[in-house]
Amino acid sequence: MDKKAIVYINQFFGQVGGEEAADHPPEIKEGAVGAAQALAAEFAGDITHTVICGDNFMSSNQEEATARILEMLEDIDFDIFFAGPAFQAGRYGNACGAIGKAVKEEFAVPVISSMNEENPGVEMFKKDIYIFPGGRSGAKMREDAKKMAEFGNEILTSEGPFPADEYGFYKRGIRHQYFRPDEKTAAERALDMLLKKMKGEEYTSELPIPEVDRVDIAPAIEDLSQVKVALVSSGGIVPVGNPDRIQSASATRWGKYNIAGMDRLENRASEGFKTIHAGFDPAAADEDPNRVVPVDALRKFEEEGRIGKLHDEFYVTVGTGTTVGEAARMGQEIAEDLKDAGVQAVILTST
Amino acid sequence: MKLELGNFPVKEIEFGEQTAYQDGTLTINKEEALSVVYEDDHIIDADLKIVEPGDEVRLVPVKEAIEPRYREGGGPVFPGVTGELMQAGEGQTKALKDMSVLVVGKHWGGFQDGLIDMAGEGAKYTYFSRLKNVVLVADTDEEFEKREQQKKNRALRWAGMRLSEYLGRAVKDLEPEEVQELELPPIADRICELEDLPGVVLVLQPQSQMEEDGYNDLSYGWDTNHMLPTLMHPNEVLDGAMISGSFMPCSSKWSTYDFQNFPLIRKLYEEHGETLNFLGVIMSNLNVSLEEKERSAQFVAQIASTLGAEGAIVAEEGYGNPDADYTACLVALEEAGIDTVGVSNEATGRDGTSQPLVAMDPKADALVSTGNVSELIELPPMETVIGELEALARDGLSGGWEDDEELGPSVREDGSIIMENNAMFCGDGVTGWSTKTMKEF
Repeated sequence: MDKKAIVYINQFFGQVGGEEAADHPPEIKEGAVGAAQALAAEFAGDITHTVICGDNFMSSNQEEATARILEMLEDIDFDIFFAGPAFQAGRYGNACGAIGKAVKEEFAVPVISSMNEENPGVEMFKKDIYIFPGGRSGAKMREDAKKMAEFGNEILTSEGPFPADEYGFYKRGIRHQYFRPDEKTAAERALDMLLKKMKGEEYTSELPIPEVDRVDIAPAIEDLSQVKVALVSSGGIVPVGNPDRIQSASATRWGKYNIAGMDRLENRASEGFKTIHAGFDPAAADEDPNRVVPVDALRKFEEEGRIGKLHDEFYVTVGTGTTVGEAARMGQEIAEDLKDAGVQAVILTST
Repeated sequence: MKLELGNFPVKEIEFGEQTAYQDGTLTINKEEALSVVYEDDHIIDADLKIVEPGDEVRLVPVKEAIEPRYREGGGPVFPGVTGELMQAGEGQTKALKDMSVLVVGKHWGGFQDGLIDMAGEGAKYTYFSRLKNVVLVADTDEEFEKREQQKKNRALRWAGMRLSEYLGRAVKDLEPEEVQELELPPIADRICELEDLPGVVLVLQPQSQMEEDGYNDLSYGWDTNHMLPTLMHPNEVLDGAMISGSFMPCSSKWSTYDFQNFPLIRKLYEEHGETLNFLGVIMSNLNVSLEEKERSAQFVAQIASTLGAEGAIVAEEGYGNPDADYTACLVALEEAGIDTVGVSNEATGRDGTSQPLVAMDPKADALVSTGNVSELIELPPMETVIGELEALARDGLSGGWEDDEELGPSVREDGSIIMENNAMFCGDGVTGWSTKTMKEF
């Protein structure tokens, strides 16, 4: 097969060094270096280059690392990009996902990775690149690399389609129509499914409804007068410069902003706070951000002794187009922060 | 109730001296057929064409498909619509098989109209490319809706039914090649012989969400918007009691031909007495307000329970807002202890990442999916276009557009097209035809 591949691996699998070399800046070498050889053994084309980058360097300078790697690849002709396998290593998984996504967007080539299901990189990047389920550690290198390479061979030589259930990569929430090769009609499928369901036999729904992870409402707090209350919002209220660059839609970042000593949130015109939420008309929220994050009302309650104290920081992200997975992660992170700060109650405002 | 369907397979269609059927050939006297079309003064221009599978022909805007039939004794094929009200589903009806009458606008299309390619890549997206078709291509003086996106298409749809009845009369005095007996005895009479088989109902949700008359599916001529769920004998549906409306994005639509041949009903008939006891069709509808949606779901669950159904299949004609009716009905049946399977399409967007149904509930745990309305389809030019290709882009067909920043117009200068599956004529085959499903990619 006359196709060219580039492989991304970390400092460890690139044989630069272990944790002591994790700050290793990105470099590119010709041929299949280190663990890339496991891919080379199964890939029917040519692995022309290997990119190696330290996990720390990538996680603490992601933008710079990505930019540098994209620049390295600019003048290279390649048909496919492999990242990993990353096993259960969280930072490595994140690196594979981040660089894989950037390469796919910049060069429009297929990107294939492999991660263990426990690797947070799976949830974060399975929508963006093909990720195959992998082992927990490098002991599974040969097996995991083989899956990646074989799918690479397939995707470069056949026209597809490539359904997740046939090829085995993590489902990505991307649903498209598919003509069944056996031409089994909807009427026949409905009948088969019904008969199985009535008999208590196993069947597969063609449209699985995602499990809703419902959280019970916490019991009411009888006396708020001694309680520290925090404001948390998905309404996108941020200081006018949006210092944490929280996205206006499909957010993956959240911020916390100090309001100690403020009677209210000043508005956009006064260079105070504004909304960056792309899911509603911002005019009213920009005019008075307290209507989304009601600092003014809570100060009043504080003054009246109805609550003990308003926490010195409010927490915010954007709730439009944000995936449930990302929202849950951000919620957990915010909750930990609130607990560390001794907050006992939260008012969560949406828009 | 017993219906004898006499089938006349049509192997060839041609124009000739006299409208007649002989040895599989349907000959049509074009002038006489057109005079039937012109019986309505609102038809100002009409022509007939014949298209067959494999012809390099693109039809657009397609408004309706009907199977030509003759009701023994001369009664209307569509009671309450093309003639007086009478009981459908009983007696003898003759049908010209493997063909349909397609109704195509000569110029103007709308939201509810679709496209059919008889050959090439596009042919796989609609069942009607497999049939031999008599195409009525016509224009009307219905000025009030000429530039409206939503069209009632009244004159054209009724002309199609008249033409179908006219063609059906060709077999009036002939012996059918094959007779299918469709009989389900009264429910109370089958308790003993079928007591070991689970009772199953088919719940249909035809499109009825327009508050104004003239757009919704009709049941014996009655607007399905104005009805509560009711029990029907499956023979009634197969024998002209239901006609298609003119409202839903086209791939979701159930044409009159689909009602006449309803694969889900046919499949349940096949299984009746073998694996299940087919109790009947609960004809529900699709509604606008939440209370109406819930009321219909409650009625469906009640009727199914009263009949002693252990299983149900629910089919929805539409997507988007009516998903709320669909899911409510699935949930109501499950809560009544009835094992339920749903059949519908999905709307996951062009990139496939949108939520598949507007309303979803974990109780709906057995669903058949027949396609994605928003799937992008790009097709090369066709030698011949019947109708007006520009309608796809110009007239607000649900799967077409005038211009798009990324994709350009739906209709290109060379005659090639790019559209959403939405505009494929009855393309998602929710009545049971569809060989499409949905998968994760």
